[in-house]
Amino acid sequence: MTTNDHRSHPENVIPMPSREEDIELDAESLDTLREALDDLRREIRLRVPEEGLRDQSPWDAGSDLDIVGLVDGLRKRLATLGMRERGVEVDDFGLDEELVKRAGPVLDWMQSSYWRIDVAGLEHLPSSSPALFVSNRAGILPWDGLMLAHVIRNQAPRFERPRPMLADWLVTLPFVQAFAARMGGVRACRENADRLLRTGRSVIAFPEGAKGATKTFRERYRLKRFGRGGVVRAAIENRVPIVPVGLVGPEEAHPVLFKSHRAARWIGLPFLPITPTFPLMGPLGAIPLPTKWIMVFGEPITPPALTDPATEALAISQANAALRERIQALVDVGLDRRDSVWD
Amino acid sequence: MKPLNRIAVTGLNSPHGIRLVERLLSRGPNLRVIGLDLQRPLRLAGKIDFHALDLTSPTADVVLAERLAAEGVDVLVHMAFRSSPTPDIEEDHELETIGSLHVMNAAAAAKLPRLVVSSTTMLYGARPDNPNYLSESHALRGHPDAHCVQNRVEVENLLADWSARNTATEVTILRSGWVIGPSRGDYVSRFFEAPVIPTVLGFDPLLQLLHEDDLLDVYEESILHSHPGIWNVVGREARPLSTLVALGGKRRLALPSPLLYRMTDFASIEQTGDRPAGFFDYLRYLWVADGESAWAEFGSPLYSTQEAWSSFVASRRG
Repeated sequence: MTTNDHRSHPENVIPMPSREEDIELDAESLDTLREALDDLRREIRLRVPEEGLRDQSPWDAGSDLDIVGLVDGLRKRLATLGMRERGVEVDDFGLDEELVKRAGPVLDWMQSSYWRIDVAGLEHLPSSSPALFVSNRAGILPWDGLMLAHVIRNQAPRFERPRPMLADWLVTLPFVQAFAARMGGVRACRENADRLLRTGRSVIAFPEGAKGATKTFRERYRLKRFGRGGVVRAAIENRVPIVPVGLVGPEEAHPVLFKSHRAARWIGLPFLPITPTFPLMGPLGAIPLPTKWIMVFGEPITPPALTDPATEALAISQANAALRERIQALVDVGLDRRDSVWD
Repeated sequence: MKPLNRIAVTGLNSPHGIRLVERLLSRGPNLRVIGLDLQRPLRLAGKIDFHALDLTSPTADVVLAERLAAEGVDVLVHMAFRSSPTPDIEEDHELETIGSLHVMNAAAAAKLPRLVVSSTTMLYGARPDNPNYLSESHALRGHPDAHCVQNRVEVENLLADWSARNTATEVTILRSGWVIGPSRGDYVSRFFEAPVIPTVLGFDPLLQLLHEDDLLDVYEESILHSHPGIWNVVGREARPLSTLVALGGKRRLALPSPLLYRMTDFASIEQTGDRPAGFFDYLRYLWVADGESAWAEFGSPLYSTQEAWSSFVASRRG
């Protein structure tokens, strides 16, 4: 009956795990088998041929087709049955819930004890998810995105953990890339933002981009140009509100005294930040300073609807400039609330 | 529309090609498969019409055009590409790029109704500035050092021009990601079957793996029915490289990139390596493709990335 089964390739006969310790038919495995059968039923329904050449297939006379589906699914499940399944839960962007959970207490401590983050304007957070959070940024390492995501998640659980967007060059750094991705960081680009927002996940954008990260200490809290309006466009096209956030503190956590371009090119970085502790103290210099942080959430902005293609670019540019001013104002509010850099 | 009955396949003498033809033959008694390759696949002896064809010969296009017209071929499946690059860069270029040009010339002359071309998502290139999901419309940036990738980027560019001029031929391009499975013997399977997997220190990208059976499903469907367009044929649920390695009971040997790249450069100069140059960039940066439109068209793969990997590891154990 299955002689015509193209799938019964000699090398394919149910590969069973050879190591003894891998075979344990406990309750969990039985559950797996039960799941497999459910999967099978679904697969068979999906794979019933409709028309055309498939009608000539030798399995069509009767119930043989089910056998093929059954064999396929069983083989698949048996092939993977003995395999260890651990630490496999990452989502489609590489966020590792387990790691995030384990990092929670550390982030809590950084929020309340290290940076003593004051949060203002929580009442402005929109009642529905997702939203596009937009903030200022400075500094090399994405502490600001990490903490912002943590605070939003804690204070407003209705937002599925927001994803901070990372500058391109950050993604080229070893360890930073891998760790940031597991913690929910995503490379900043329209494709990623659209995909996240479309699937109901909030995004934290830093439209100052690399210009923001490379700000020197003298330029702190003076917002740079906001890209080319990509943030506004993303909000319009995905119909999500923009939540402006003013961040005070992180811009002093890694005070860049000046930037070295020549040394940077030599080691393949876009620029080399010289801070009071880096590179003087080596890797220890990468530890951020315990500055006092203030997070000010502003009223959400509903971006303008685009009606006229001729003036579209202008409208976006206008909204973008207005957004930048809003955040600058929020940053100024935050600066006023603070007595000094440290408290 | 007259029923499809004549399928020609270039470069079918590979494990994938042979299994594909076996499947097609089981689909109906009226199907005829015309095999075109350098060597006759012994396993298919007596089941197909085989014609020796050297796509690198200067007259390959004329010969192929005559063959296609004489047999009245309905679908030509072009998969005469290297499964692993050879050290002979010029010869690879002759086969992959010029050979494909010959196929296009012949298809135009024979007024071929349908052309199915094998491609790969490696053509997008593994780059730090890739979006997390590469759609079919994303630019093919390739990899400057990997000649087999660059050849096929050129093939796709030629094919785009060609199909704009030859609108009578319906073109299906199947860009598959890395495929693993019990019968695969290319450099990807060989790399991952080792107990210790060298990786780039500090990088852990998401990878997509497709089971060979799922690839066959898509090829079969795209040959038997009309599915014009470009499709990313990739596995579901990308997983971090480190997760896959741990899951397979293997060990990771994470080496700093300068060291790793220098070592592999040496291997390719010595012609001992069969992986494309720049291979480790594909274990360093993201090149995950968005397979959603292909899943909607051809059905979701039976195996997820993790399941494909588990079944691959289990099949190589013993």
